[in-house]
Order: sequence, then structure tokens, then C-alpha cells
Amino acid sequence: MDRTDTGRAGMNRKTTILDLISRKLAPFMLLFGLYVLTYGHASPGGGFQGGVVIASGVILLFVAQGVEAAERLFPFATLSRVETMAFLAFIGAGLAGIAAGIGFLGNPMVLVEVSAAPRAGMVLLLNLVIGIEVGSGVSLICLRLFREE
Amino acid sequence: MVEALLVLMLISSVFALLIRDMLAAVLLLGVFSMLSCLVFFLLSAPDVALTEAAVGTGVGTVILIWIVYRTERRDRT
Repeated sequence: MDRTDTGRAGMNRKTTILDLISRKLAPFMLLFGLYVLTYGHASPGGGFQGGVVIASGVILLFVAQGVEAAERLFPFATLSRVETMAFLAFIGAGLAGIAAGIGFLGNPMVLVEVSAAPRAGMVLLLNLVIGIEVGSGVSLICLRLFREE
Repeated sequence: MVEALLVLMLISSVFALLIRDMLAAVLLLGVFSMLSCLVFFLLSAPDVALTEAAVGTGVGTVILIWIVYRTERRDRT
């Protein structure tokens, strides 16, 4: 029982059901990932979980639509750049605590008395940055795996 | 309820170890992951359950299936 050649053919075949379901499902997966990310400070979820849900939406597009078609939507260079930018933003948000005199990843919001920006906004910011970082990083790993050589 | 799920997890992991077909073993590992996600949810840890559902059932299974398709089968049977 040789699995390799049937595997290659199975990877390239695309049925109507798979095509339609993946097209309808992927935007909702991305939206649910964004929801988990944004409400992570109040409900179960958070940056890592939301990022992985977003990445699984992107991976569904990669697997079902083919790498070439999905790479028009999420190009390799853009994902790589977004991942680096999110990492630098996380480091910057950590250094903001040092600049405020609290320590690394301290909350600088406690120093300013503004009613417009709630103090928990720092957690939301960190969750968003971690989610973008994890989502682009995991989908970058899988894009690199799925691309032929 | 949790005990029944734990027994199912045991059965699926034993089958994943014993079965000869690599693709079936990966899918049984996905079943194990989904059952453990249910156990986490029933033990009131929805945060861990969400992580397990996304990482164990989603991304991990996809990467393992990719590995099964890209490696060759050399086996004495």
C-alpha cells in the first residue's frame, strides 16, 4: 500500500463541496478569531488563542484553495513584515512601562488620569499585538510548509 | 461524564499507538485532542479548552497530515 503517489493526487484534487464550504467558512473563522482576541480580557480567550484561530482560518484557505490562490490574499512578504512589526510593537509596549518608571510590561495608564482611555486598555492592546503576532507567525510556518520547495 | 470521556481518550490513544496506518493514527490523535478539549471544558477551564481546540485539533493535525503525505512509507508488512 503506497501512500505517496495517491497523496500527491489527493492534495491537488478540489471538489465543489470543499471549495464552497471553505469559501463560506474562512471569513467567519477570521471574524471569530478577532472576537476571541478583542474580548480576551473579559471572557475566555486572549491573544494566543485568537491568533491561533485566525491562523487556522488562513490555513483552511491554504489547504482548500491552494497555496497560489491564497497567497494572493496573504502574500508571504506581507505576512513576514506584519509578524516582525507586531513583535517590535510588543517590545515597544513593554518598553513603555520602563519609560513610565514601572518596569517592563508595566501599565503606563495608571499614571495618566483620563476618563476617555480606561486603564485596562493596555491589556487589550497587548492582546491585539500578541494575536497579530501569533496569527501571522503560525500561518507563515504553514505557508512555508505547504509551498512546494 | 468526565470518567467516560477519559476512558474514550484512553481507547483512542491506544488505537493511535497500535494502528499501522499513519493517517488513521493522526486522525485518532485529533479525536484524542477533541475529547481532551471537552474534558477541559467540563472541568471549567474554557481558556485551556479553546487553546486545545485551536492548536491540538486544528493546526497540529494539519501539520501532522502534511508530514504523513510528504514522507515515504518504509515498513515490513
